[in-house]
Amino acid sequence: MTRTFYDEMYDAQGVCRPHYHGFASWLAQTPPEQLAQRRREADLLFHRAGITFTLYGDEEGTERLIPFDTIPRSIPLSEWRMVERGCIQRVKALNLFLDDLYHGQRILKAGIIPREQVLANECYQLAMQGLDLHRGIYAHIAGVDLVRDGDGTYYVLEDNLRTPSGVSYMLEDRKMMMRLFPELFAAQRVAPIDHYPNLLLSTLKSASPVDNPNVVVLTPGRFNSAYFEHAFLAREMGVELVEGADLFVRDEHVFMRTTAGPRPVDVIYRRLDDAYLDPLAFNPDSMLGVPGLLSAYRSGNVVLANAIGTGVADDKSIYPYVTDMIRFYLDEEPILRNVPTWQCRNPAELSHVLANLEQLVVKETQGSGGYGMLVGPASSKAQIEAFRARLQANPGAYIAQPTLSLSTCPTFVESGVAPRHIDLRPFVLTGEETRLVPGGLTRVALREGSLVVNSSQGGGTKDTWVVED
Amino acid sequence: MKLSIRHETTYSYDNEVRNSIQYLRLTPQESERQHVISWELGLPRPARAQVDPYGNILHVLTMEEPHASIVISANGQVEIDDSREVEHDGHEVLPYLRFTRLTQADDALRAFAHEQCRERRDRNGLIDLMHGLADHMTYLPGSTGVESTAAEAFAGGAGVCQDHTHAFLACSRTLGLPARYVSGYLLTEDSAHLASHAWAEVWLADGWYSFDVSNRLARPERHLKLAVGLDYLDACPVRGVRRGGGCEQMHARVQVQQ
Repeated sequence: MTRTFYDEMYDAQGVCRPHYHGFASWLAQTPPEQLAQRRREADLLFHRAGITFTLYGDEEGTERLIPFDTIPRSIPLSEWRMVERGCIQRVKALNLFLDDLYHGQRILKAGIIPREQVLANECYQLAMQGLDLHRGIYAHIAGVDLVRDGDGTYYVLEDNLRTPSGVSYMLEDRKMMMRLFPELFAAQRVAPIDHYPNLLLSTLKSASPVDNPNVVVLTPGRFNSAYFEHAFLAREMGVELVEGADLFVRDEHVFMRTTAGPRPVDVIYRRLDDAYLDPLAFNPDSMLGVPGLLSAYRSGNVVLANAIGTGVADDKSIYPYVTDMIRFYLDEEPILRNVPTWQCRNPAELSHVLANLEQLVVKETQGSGGYGMLVGPASSKAQIEAFRARLQANPGAYIAQPTLSLSTCPTFVESGVAPRHIDLRPFVLTGEETRLVPGGLTRVALREGSLVVNSSQGGGTKDTWVVED
Repeated sequence: MKLSIRHETTYSYDNEVRNSIQYLRLTPQESERQHVISWELGLPRPARAQVDPYGNILHVLTMEEPHASIVISANGQVEIDDSREVEHDGHEVLPYLRFTRLTQADDALRAFAHEQCRERRDRNGLIDLMHGLADHMTYLPGSTGVESTAAEAFAGGAGVCQDHTHAFLACSRTLGLPARYVSGYLLTEDSAHLASHAWAEVWLADGWYSFDVSNRLARPERHLKLAVGLDYLDACPVRGVRRGGGCEQMHARVQVQQ
């Protein structure tokens, strides 16, 4: 089967797209040795900056450098405006859905989503039922994963509403590019992104009814794969980075232990999953959280960003309904498309999936990080048969989608410059309003032909530019 | 029937505890079946009541000063309408279809549930399930621990009321019936030896029905309900963490009188 891919830099005739002209002529003029030298510098600088990533499933817990590619992914401004509007529309609808779900449940009463699918879902948190949040915001920070099919159409692959990560790479990749290739940024206007930490801090502050609230970043600790990012964001925002043991609850209020005595905490940007937040209410074995935190939260004395229970809206079994949510809550047509999805919980859809495994991507509804998935066209017969058995044993845990071709972008590889598949994760912040910085994180699958861009599966990153058309 | 409860729990520690926090579900609620005449918690420090995610009354006791022991008492009188079998409380029912780590059904529990109930999803089917579990799992204190799962206790063929209830919940949810854990008190002939009790409730079309596997009772009798949840961890009367203290001794006394 031959597939056609949309290339971000060159059109089907191999002609450079207009928004890449500036970069392409610079690339043609710069001697290859000089580029190679700069790439070695980049590796060195990233090592020094400590931007590493701990690989799960690797017994040694190896810290690995996420490969950084010096050819940027560039998006023309007019196209970005559409993506931006689409992401804002989507995150608004998802926040309205969560508010509705944990209050009046209009969307369930209207029969748009089956009750059991939501209420019996383990990500639906009874602790949130009837709880009023300031401004009614649940997902203060969202990471919307986008890919482009063969004709360049953008599709939303998933909405990450729990603790989306990767924004530190977005910021560091830009810093690196500006340091290595200042001449590129002098020659053309690339939309700035360095105000992201300020936007994040103002988003977190606006989530609290308190004047000038005390904001902290809660990390599971230095063994977490994204610890670098937690420390980075706390530093960039100028707020404290804390672990569970640094906080305590007294009489339904949260305090931070400091040398000057307890200091009240108003907003917790938590990079810890729901199950670990409070050992007295959730997983009792976890020492990562803060005992009593749920009682403080439910008393309205502290804000968690994101809120508890957002996972029910980004669950892959709920994903197919997001376009309906946009119509239901906003009375608008979706700007960004959903990937057609088969729900294996329905017997008719399951038999279609089983009959077409070679062509489909099958994912766990609860999975993330690309671990529990099958990419049919890229798998051997034996892998497909092994996955078939898992799927048949527990069909409700899986969804399937057609294999999108994913756009490509020229990338430095061992043999020179070659096209590699990419995706895009813009970060959507919701406070008084819903905002994005231009672009987002571009991840690139470095293995030839691979469609899996996750850093845990050998993916790298690129700087993402929004440039005037 | 009027029940008088005196429940005192003493936690003592080998060393001083630096600080501790407890979630307490020790306060019964007004319902169709129970009318609270009087109820008082005795705590070492004042604690405000709030409603927890399952609709239970929760007190959060935070102790920031060093302490060597904690005494928690609950005393009161409750009028029970023992003619009422079915209860309603306006809470969401479908979340109780969900399995938890403690109530996960394994192949053995799934097979057992289907064998006992076959096509029946009614009260009679569940009564057979209740007796079946009571036959299969001997009531034997010490045979399991507080962290034992339904599947472990079922495989071991023995347990206490907590294990009976977890196994019953695993089976009911396997059959597609919403089921919840209930913690509370039970009046028996030999009340002096009885600690707190646990049983199950299953939603059958028009309300919550009680199933007490340990006592083979398919209706509440001298049961006083304190809290409900997906499993023991959500509904247990006391759940806490502490810093320091070394080993803990717990001494509980429950007196239930008519």
